[in-house]
Amino acid sequence: MSRARRVYAPRRAAVEAGEDGTPRALAGTAVEAIREEWVVEDRWWTADPLHRHYYELALADGRSATVFRDVRSGRWFRQKA
Amino acid sequence: MVTCVRIPRFSLRVASGPDRLDEPVALAPLPGGRQAVGEVSAAAEADGVEAGMPLGEALARCPSLRLLPSDPVGVAERWDRLLEGLEGIGAAVESERPGEAFFEVDGLLGIHGGALEGVVVAARRAARAPVRIGVAPNRFASLLAAGREAVVASHALGGFLAPQPVATLAAGLGPADQGRELIGALRRLGLGTLGRLAELAPDQVADRFGALGQRALRLARGEDTPLRPRRPREELVAEIELPEGAAGSQLGRALELLVDRLLADRKRRERTLLALRLSARLDSGGSWSVEQGLGRPTASARAISSLLSPRLESLPEPAGSLRLRALALGPRAADQLELALGGREPRRGRLAAAVREVRAAAGAEALLKAIDVDPGSRVPERRALLTPIPEP
Repeated sequence: MSRARRVYAPRRAAVEAGEDGTPRALAGTAVEAIREEWVVEDRWWTADPLHRHYYELALADGRSATVFRDVRSGRWFRQKA
Repeated sequence: MVTCVRIPRFSLRVASGPDRLDEPVALAPLPGGRQAVGEVSAAAEADGVEAGMPLGEALARCPSLRLLPSDPVGVAERWDRLLEGLEGIGAAVESERPGEAFFEVDGLLGIHGGALEGVVVAARRAARAPVRIGVAPNRFASLLAAGREAVVASHALGGFLAPQPVATLAAGLGPADQGRELIGALRRLGLGTLGRLAELAPDQVADRFGALGQRALRLARGEDTPLRPRRPREELVAEIELPEGAAGSQLGRALELLVDRLLADRKRRERTLLALRLSARLDSGGSWSVEQGLGRPTASARAISSLLSPRLESLPEPAGSLRLRALALGPRAADQLELALGGREPRRGRLAAAVREVRAAAGAEALLKAIDVDPGSRVPERRALLTPIPEP
């Protein structure tokens, strides 16, 4: 039986963060600007809550990217949305 | 001769495990259904509780009665495994309800050593569970014989049935309520045994008790309808975990996804579907299940979804997963005659061939479509799923 796959599943990302916790570079490419940032908290009533800090980035090479930091683990992920 | 393989209180055993059958336990009413207990343990029976009794009366008779959530999905799956075991020894099995299976024994004698004992031993081994087996000339008599693990020869049938109490008719008559009313009426008239009932003339019984009475009379006289064995079937099933609190359109999309996955299963081999069972594991611990005939053989995802989606409204409470199982398969879609030449059907056929070719070349997961699951979710990975494109 084949399993359904999720679209937009997050992938680990190599993000360098500054002292204030905001991203400075993504996979070696400098962050030109942070266009937007927002926080998603969900499933806080379960044993596996979801707490993410999202950033929409403009990179130095002209690309855009959306990344988030999983607040519980401190890990960075990249996500299309 | 008909063999009956029986596991008394099968649904209760599945819900409780064998250890708790010594206690007064009963199956709780199905959510949203009639407020009456299901199967009851022997200990509860000793306190006067019967299956089908209104819940209030059952608790009044046995205050220590414990109610267990019924698990129709678990029951169906375990009973299916047992039936497949019996089919594995060559039996053409009829089973109208879990816990009772019947098959004609005559054709199996040659395979299992030429004697009845060989078939019984093979059936017991194939069942892989503690079963009661009885053999008799027809279905009803074999069911009674299974209670005693007896073999009833044709010439002894009348003598076997005559002393049986009329309460045994409950096992052979249809809906529990009507059967119970008939049995009560027979008792009130002093007809306590099948032998007494069998002495009555058919027109008298028809006048007083109608069609159900006539059926009871035929059973009491050792007449029963021929078996209608099911067709052995392959396991064709799809299951999906539901997000917490899924309801409304989310459930509908989950159903579409399930239908697509079932139709994309290679084991289907382009055959159409005739009947399906939609089931759910409930968050509260029990399960829910409905069966849906499709009316005509079809492999159209749209037709199947439109028949099944109204059934989701009877889902009694939030569910953790949905499962769809094919109960009967029809002919290959390509074998069905076309009503109209040209137009949609040939185009659909060519498209189906193209889908098969791509899958054969690039794998089953090569053709997928995105389905919106929760488009407004703040968590992007919950918004859509990729699922196989069903063959058109």
